[in-house]
Amino acid sequence: MQFNTDGQGSELQSEINITPLVDVVLVLLIIFMVVVPLLLKGYDVGIPKASAEMAPAEADASQVVLKIGSDTCPVFAPPAEPGLPANCRVSLDERVLSTGELAASVAETLGGRPADQRVLFLAADEDLNYEAVLRIVDLAKSGVDDVRIEFVTTD
Amino acid sequence: MRLGETGRMNAAINVTPLVDVVLVLLIVFMVMAPQMRTGPEVDLPETAKPRDQGDERGRILVTLDESGKLWIDDHQVAPEKFGEGLRAAVGDQADPRVVVRSDARLRFGDVRRAMVAIEEAGFSGVGLIADSAGATTGGE
Repeated sequence: MQFNTDGQGSELQSEINITPLVDVVLVLLIIFMVVVPLLLKGYDVGIPKASAEMAPAEADASQVVLKIGSDTCPVFAPPAEPGLPANCRVSLDERVLSTGELAASVAETLGGRPADQRVLFLAADEDLNYEAVLRIVDLAKSGVDDVRIEFVTTD
Repeated sequence: MRLGETGRMNAAINVTPLVDVVLVLLIVFMVMAPQMRTGPEVDLPETAKPRDQGDERGRILVTLDESGKLWIDDHQVAPEKFGEGLRAAVGDQADPRVVVRSDARLRFGDVRRAMVAIEEAGFSGVGLIADSAGATTGGE
């Protein structure tokens, strides 16, 4: 019986064969390349139905309205910096707040409620920049993680 | 080599590299397929901590591009045909969910109008898609 028939010398090959290892790593890499861009990130929001607007499920007094007006928060172009400009003020239940105080105020107002009543009605001016509004949604969500956001009109 | 010996020559084809190559090709096509259906490129808004929305399979992807044009999945639709197009996109999906990718430069009113149209087409709630700003700016 012969081990080597091609005449390449007879010593045992002692290096690890890395080809299957490289193959497996490559396949794993590609699997992650597939999965990562498919994951979407964002915020669940709602719009009250026309009928629901006539007869709100919650009592009027318990509705928490966050108002973002274009006069108090003049952001009409995407903010260059992360976060919101310093001159942006919002009003939560008629209280005027800077955006830095918003998360804590939302937590204070809605945090104590049962989970199904944590609804924040967001009345944002139509002229505002979309990115700025979404950053305010992010701030509200960072106050109470499972708060439900409903977009309402300002009038 | 004589008959009856244990160390006979291995005549079978080694299929391992073949399987590897085929697997890699399969995965390459799996990568390409979803990218063909996501519609136009938009400049997504960046926020501090967007929540996970799962993956985009099984979602109806509504895109609002820079000029405010509406797209459902990979084709553009006229605003007056939007509701119709959404219902057609549902197909036989049991629990369709709509996610909205809007350009960061749009007015909030444009996005809101699309959301109202989605609501009127019979969907409750939408997901607004954002990019995580933390990925590029680092911690504060």
